[in-house]
Amino acid sequence: MGLLSRDRGRLRTAGLRAVRLVSLLVAVAAGCFALMAGSPVDPVEAYVGADTAAIGSEQRAQIEERWGLDEPPLERFGVWAGHVVTGDLGTSQVFGQPVTEVIADRFAASLSLLALAWLLSGVLGFTLGLLAGATRGRLLDRVLTWWAYTLASAPTFWVGLLLLYVFSVSLQWTPVCCAAPLGTLPGEVSLLDRVHHLVLPALTLSVVGISPVLLHTRQATLEVLASDHVAFARAQGERLPGLLLHRVARNAAGPALMLQFASVGELLGGSVLAEQVFTYPGLGEATTTAALRQDVPLLLGIALTTALVVFVGNALGDLAHRVAVPRTREVAA
Amino acid sequence: MSRSRLLVLAAVTALTASACGGGTSGEEATAKPTELRLAIGGEPEDGFDPTLGWGRYGSPLFQSTLLTREPDLGVGLDLATAYEVSGDGLTWTVDLRTDAAFTDGEPVTPADVAYTFNTAARQGGLTDVTALDEAVAVDEDTVELRLDEPRSTFVDRLISLGIVPEHAHDDGYAREPVGSGPYRLVDWQQGQQLVVERNDDYYGDLPAFDRLVFAFTDEDATLAAARTGAVDVAALPSSLATGDIGGMRLETVTSIDNRGISFPTVPSGSRRSPAGRPVGNDVTADVAVRRAVNVAIDREALVEGVLEGFGSPATGPVDGAPWYEPDSAIEDADVDAAAALLEEAGWQDADGDGVREKDGTDAAFTLLYPAGDTLRQGLALSVVDMVAPAGVRIETEGVSWDEIDQRLHTDAVLFGWGSHDPTEMYNLYRSSMAGTESFNPGYYRDPVVDRHLDAAMAATDPDEAAEHWRAAQLDDDGHGFTAPADAAWAWLVNLEHTYYVDSCLDLGEPRIEPHGHGWPLTAGIASWRWDC
Repeated sequence: MGLLSRDRGRLRTAGLRAVRLVSLLVAVAAGCFALMAGSPVDPVEAYVGADTAAIGSEQRAQIEERWGLDEPPLERFGVWAGHVVTGDLGTSQVFGQPVTEVIADRFAASLSLLALAWLLSGVLGFTLGLLAGATRGRLLDRVLTWWAYTLASAPTFWVGLLLLYVFSVSLQWTPVCCAAPLGTLPGEVSLLDRVHHLVLPALTLSVVGISPVLLHTRQATLEVLASDHVAFARAQGERLPGLLLHRVARNAAGPALMLQFASVGELLGGSVLAEQVFTYPGLGEATTTAALRQDVPLLLGIALTTALVVFVGNALGDLAHRVAVPRTREVAA
Repeated sequence: MSRSRLLVLAAVTALTASACGGGTSGEEATAKPTELRLAIGGEPEDGFDPTLGWGRYGSPLFQSTLLTREPDLGVGLDLATAYEVSGDGLTWTVDLRTDAAFTDGEPVTPADVAYTFNTAARQGGLTDVTALDEAVAVDEDTVELRLDEPRSTFVDRLISLGIVPEHAHDDGYAREPVGSGPYRLVDWQQGQQLVVERNDDYYGDLPAFDRLVFAFTDEDATLAAARTGAVDVAALPSSLATGDIGGMRLETVTSIDNRGISFPTVPSGSRRSPAGRPVGNDVTADVAVRRAVNVAIDREALVEGVLEGFGSPATGPVDGAPWYEPDSAIEDADVDAAAALLEEAGWQDADGDGVREKDGTDAAFTLLYPAGDTLRQGLALSVVDMVAPAGVRIETEGVSWDEIDQRLHTDAVLFGWGSHDPTEMYNLYRSSMAGTESFNPGYYRDPVVDRHLDAAMAATDPDEAAEHWRAAQLDDDGHGFTAPADAAWAWLVNLEHTYYVDSCLDLGEPRIEPHGHGWPLTAGIASWRWDC
């Protein structure tokens, strides 16, 4: 009996989440389209660019026709939405390829970068946060906190350029660009090559996520260290490393996990800049191109994809938080 | 923690260091490299389909064209062995060579040429072939291009449109092009790099390099790549071309990539543009003001001060081209002459505030430039200081292109143009183009100039056309749109494009480049040689 009602409750939660997801996607699509329809950027003008003197009015009309821009905006949105329901996101104006293909290609390239950066920022941020909390007020804590504030206020592209000049130009330890060595064909690229080309962009990108995780973990660590059960453990003679490992880590992990999953969105945003600096051909780079050139189908496709990723990230964050910190289980439902 | 990260980095570096040495390191300098690496931008987002505009600058690489642009901007032959324009200018008959083949082994036929032109004429891409009525293959080595109206500048389409094979031109063509050009595509990783290899069956002179790698890096990464020796040619804006890079030389290439000021040439309030925007400016409508500004500007100082020497003074929109009129150049940097011109036209500074006035109107106008373009901002601010002593006050405003589109008929605008195709000159000065796109923004109108421009378009041979183009700038009777006559614009400077090039690489005779930096350099790629 009890089990059944619990299952029903879960089902309802899942249903609610699905409704929320669908309404979110609809809102994102409509909002993005409205913003772009109202944007002063003329896609044909952006496409023509420096060729403006060579492209006459008749040719411009042909371009509009090819992209279907000669229809009124509402009609275009209707047609687009109708196709999306059937799984067709349309054709990118800039790349001349199906949007799903562009996004799949780019997302595959971005995925390793995002995953590495995400792990790096999570593991580093959490570990350093624990250390800072444990050494509160001492030199290590002050250095780490100062470092976190500096990173938090440093723009990603600036950090990227700095790393590029130090490690790629001066020390020549890392390559200056791209996801693989210049001139190699896809079949010839070794795993080591890939990692080598991934290190610097991932490091740059992880900067986005380290500070919040570090600072929140530090705060949580302080709170847990001040709590009764830690005082009790201390009284029983447990020393700091053991305390951190057995008593603090799990309890302080809650906010870190939540933040870490919630940061997926920021990570995607940061990847736009990091990929630009390192000529890393991922989703971020495609986003910049789509936005600058008013490629409506591609930008809408990317907006929907990232909204989905962020939603899933947040849902996973909730889940992980509840698993790690059992107290929240009952409250959340 | 951080120590172990450094260790990993060091290990990775040690393992790959040998692979990253590149073809230009010391120990390999004795053997001629067979691969070139270039970071010159120019990646086409929508692929390598000439009917959508690929190859309109420089060389299409994978395809070949009917005609070519010679280094002096004259016209040379390629797939065509001869061409002829009918007396009425409507029919272009082109004889084709019969020994050219696509990389899939099929011969290049007149049917392919006709297909290419007909397709490009219908496609909404970045090559404007709308003047074409139809292209017809008349026999096994002749094709006829029939136009709607006479257009001498159609020759530019014969120069820039790469011929595609009708049998292989499908949806995937742009990503896997098949053509009859000097190179074939090996791999394109969009956003990163393009790898091409020599087409050994190419009918023309074979290039010296087996393989070319184009890296599509942005400016900072390009500079970094040049510094580390990862590339042999790097296109960089002149503002970043400071300082020496070991093993590379700085090469500057002349261009007709120009910057100039457009003036509204009609009084205000007279009319509205087709888009409903106001037209006219009472100050710049006076030719004396426009001439005075032209005379007062010190163009050499602009080149030295704003371009840091990477450029030349501009006298018109087509400096250095075969259709350029040298007599249109004026003596500038002469504030006294400018003051005299204004004085004569009745502009006097009666109230002593340093700005002349006439009939209660100050000799003052606004100069717009796109915000964020530091080069144009520098030029605009310098011009303000140069004309102020003559008693003309210019206020500058950095605004968005969107706002410029609203105001280009009422305010002066700092534009950048420059094309190998004189159609641009027609678009900028023909009275009928006023109010269309950003063409003829100042509503300039002179019946004599219109006649010269029309005659140039209707000409059936390039030399005859060039003569009329020159007359439109300044004819024997003193009519024309340039500074000595109507001074419809004040042209300021031509930019030089800057490249870091490996000291061993000889780029041959560089061509005058259009507006657009980087890819145009590839126009002469077949003649590049390694000199060490």
